[in-house]
Amino acid sequence: MGAFLQYTVIGLTVGSFYALVALGYTIVYGIIRLINFAQGDLSMVGAFLGWTLLVSFGFQRLPLYLALIIAFVVPMLGTAAVNIVILQFAYKPLLRKSLLAILITALGMSLLLQNTAELIWGPSIQAYPPNLLPSTGFFMGPVHVTYVQLALVFVSLLLMGGMVLFVQGTTVGTAMRALAVDHDAARLMGINVDGIIRLAFVLGAMLAAASGVMLGLYYVQIQFTMGFLLGLRAFTAAVLGGIGNIPGAMAGGMLIGLLESYTTGYLSGSWKDVIVFGVLITVLIVKPTGLFGERVAERM
Amino acid sequence: MIDRLANRGVAHAYVRSRDQLGRIPFWARVIAILAVVGGAVLLNGDDYVTAVAVTVATYAMLGLGLNIVVGYAGLLDLGYAAFFAIGAYTSSLLMTEAHWNFFATLPLAVLFTGTAGAILGYPTLRLRSDYLAIVTLGFGEMTRITFNNWDYAGGPNGILQIPWPNFFGYELNTQGDFLIVGLVLLAVAMIFARNLDHSRLGRGWVAIREDEFAAESVGVPSLRLKLFAYVMGGMWGGLAGAFFATRIGAIDPTSFTFQLSVLVLIVIVLGGTGSLPGVLVGALVVVAMPEVLREFADRRLLIFAVLLIGMMLLRPQGLWPRIRRKPKPFYGLQEEESEDVADRILREHQVQMEERERRHAAAGRQVPQKGEALLEIEGLVQQFGGLRAVDNVTFEVRRGEIFSIIGPNGGGKTTLFNCITGVQKPKRGKIRFDGRSVVGLRPHVIVSRGIGRTFQGIRLFKNMAVFENVMVGLYPRHRTMTWQTMLHTPGERKDEVRTLQESRRWLGFVGLESVAGRLATELSYADQRRVEIARALAAHPHLVLFDEPAAGMNPTEKLELVSIIRKIRDLGITVVLIDHDMSLVMRVSDRIAVLDHGVLIALGKPAEIQQNPAVIEAYLGREEDLLEDKAQGA
Ligand SMILES: Nc1ncnc2c1ncn2[C@@H]1O[C@H](COP(=O)(O)OP(=O)(O)O)[C@@H](O)[C@H]1O
Ligand SMILES: [Mg+2]
Repeated sequence: MGAFLQYTVIGLTVGSFYALVALGYTIVYGIIRLINFAQGDLSMVGAFLGWTLLVSFGFQRLPLYLALIIAFVVPMLGTAAVNIVILQFAYKPLLRKSLLAILITALGMSLLLQNTAELIWGPSIQAYPPNLLPSTGFFMGPVHVTYVQLALVFVSLLLMGGMVLFVQGTTVGTAMRALAVDHDAARLMGINVDGIIRLAFVLGAMLAAASGVMLGLYYVQIQFTMGFLLGLRAFTAAVLGGIGNIPGAMAGGMLIGLLESYTTGYLSGSWKDVIVFGVLITVLIVKPTGLFGERVAERM
Repeated sequence: MIDRLANRGVAHAYVRSRDQLGRIPFWARVIAILAVVGGAVLLNGDDYVTAVAVTVATYAMLGLGLNIVVGYAGLLDLGYAAFFAIGAYTSSLLMTEAHWNFFATLPLAVLFTGTAGAILGYPTLRLRSDYLAIVTLGFGEMTRITFNNWDYAGGPNGILQIPWPNFFGYELNTQGDFLIVGLVLLAVAMIFARNLDHSRLGRGWVAIREDEFAAESVGVPSLRLKLFAYVMGGMWGGLAGAFFATRIGAIDPTSFTFQLSVLVLIVIVLGGTGSLPGVLVGALVVVAMPEVLREFADRRLLIFAVLLIGMMLLRPQGLWPRIRRKPKPFYGLQEEESEDVADRILREHQVQMEERERRHAAAGRQVPQKGEALLEIEGLVQQFGGLRAVDNVTFEVRRGEIFSIIGPNGGGKTTLFNCITGVQKPKRGKIRFDGRSVVGLRPHVIVSRGIGRTFQGIRLFKNMAVFENVMVGLYPRHRTMTWQTMLHTPGERKDEVRTLQESRRWLGFVGLESVAGRLATELSYADQRRVEIARALAAHPHLVLFDEPAAGMNPTEKLELVSIIRKIRDLGITVVLIDHDMSLVMRVSDRIAVLDHGVLIALGKPAEIQQNPAVIEAYLGREEDLLEDKAQGA
């Protein structure tokens, strides 16, 4: 029982990272029906930007709260800028053309980000400052919870909550939801479609970057290839929750995190991705709209 | 570029020599080219160059397989390395553990990969195409991780000391030997691929790639064909994998990463998806470029990524595109007089009808005769959320008549067609055709029952030639088997010639024979509508449904359309027509039904409809709607 709860804590922590990336997938997919393969790699870019600030620029020596604010905000903005460039330069010209072309472009973009990162930051593993955050924690019965875990989950929930409020509660959010249903109708209603698409890319990138920095802080080690599996697991989470469905993506992320943690704990770490992809394929076969239903109107 | 030169008429000599070259059979060209290249490499004798050539051949083989999946059928497969791995492991394990001969392992390697493809493909191919990309990606990773964790197959160390292949006592153990085997396999793969490309099956695949919904609606069993493409591409990969394993002599899971799947994808995207010479060009670029430009070898993925994105943005058709335009599509076919054409179509159609009556009689069913109900709709309801698009509609269409459905926009006319053709399942109600229910059947099955259709928004296969569009419509009429196609057997050839001939007749029937070789998108709006009509007729339906065929036509074109519709009726085909042009509808129809807000408000002869107060009310009451229709040309 103790072990089970311990795995649960780990699963929820990791799951909250996945949920952030999954949220990015879901927002972008909901609006332009594009699986942005580069989503996971954006997370990697965010992680490296954060690393550059903390380690290369030495911001780790600033007071902790200041260092953390910089290490989150700057990468989020930087990654958003990268994603906007990608959108304008690569996806925009293809939006109304074939699905195959835009998927292949997205794949190329993922490769490009990875290899550019390798060029800039090198192929080897880089380490976040290990002692930046306290490694202390407390016991809840038999379960050990670190303050870092608590803080990371808290920040994730904050970001996700903000996201939900934004999409449900603001006019811009309403416009986003209208766009998810029908572009042409939304355009006729006077919604700035291009602007909303850009906004979706900005938000998606910011969430991804935040999760990247969190991964760096949590696992310490980062590498230019880290975005690939992260992206894949997050996409699985998005599909599991029902693509286009924002609370679904959050729940899906947590579920994938738990699944992974239990598999690692009870079976072996080397099987965890087999299980995750097995779940993906099974969900798509049995319930392609995800556990909580997708929010994308199928058009013919 | 070649294409552009030809268009400008700059390179006449080149075009002529290409035409002459075109007369040499493809297989002879492939063998000649590969023999020359192979001979040159072997004579050169440099082991390193030979080894690179073998790798190029391996990638070309993989590319040919993936080309079927991505290039023809348009399914993005990102886990292709899995098939390569399954083929390699199957063959290696049989050789090391069971001491089989390499060549004996090939059938099993191919069989295993094919089975894996079918197991994964069957449930997943009905998903949206972008989901498929992710599912295949996941499958690729799962396969690699599974081999990595599987102790019997050596775990992370893989399988070592795979024996050399033995060919009737001769041990193949030099790079030169492998080059010969590789080129032979490649030649066979090329010839099979070309035969598939120029076949009923190949056209079906490309139609699915261009517009899956339209393909299904003109009789192409899209699910089955996609599965076919996926399985066949997988088998190809399995063959290449077996070859790769014995050539390298040792395999481990790192040989089958996602990166390999991406590289093979780059091979076909660079060369041009769907293009066979393009695959060779792509394989050459992907394998040889890093060898030649050593200083960039470390950065090759970066370069490939840029190439991939650049190609999609600037030259999506690839370096050596597959050209689907054809200046003389009917070259070599027997000429037919135009009087003859209509006659032949009529005779052919009568043969079809008689055959059908025999079939029905054999099954103990009565075929409706002229004037009897061919299509019966009873209490049909279709609902979208709270909106009743079709509300309890009952009517029948009699054999041999021209039946029109009119009504304001949003009246439910197209929805009615969608229910009849199986695109949508109605919420309630009965639809009987030929006395048999068609509710719940897949669209392509309904086409083979004898219902053809056109679409309100034109849905031609844009990147196929006009005559190919019509040939796709002929899909349900033939029963060629895949193996016949791959071997290009005499029976298959005869079918192909017949298909070509019939597509020409139907294009003659709608007056478009002269533009048969152009791409569908290059035609005017009105002509595209006529191509759609020819495509719908090609399968010799008993009933055709035309959804606003006159939309966007000028008065002359409308006149021609009327004469085509009458000609269709004269063949004995029943016509159901949706249109907004009252004078056209009144002139051509035997009976008219009026749908308003999903409700059938009137049914009768044109004169009765014109007098009907409910109809006048529906139209006059909503004058703005009518104006809007006209403004949208809808
Ligand atoms: N797939 C669909 N989902 C939701 N509503 C639909 C769908 N197809 C049609 N409708 C609605 O059903 C009504 C009838 O549409 P339609 O059959 O296209 O009319 P018509 O062809 O007579 O102009 C319209 O209000 C349309 O918006
Ligand atoms: Mg309509």
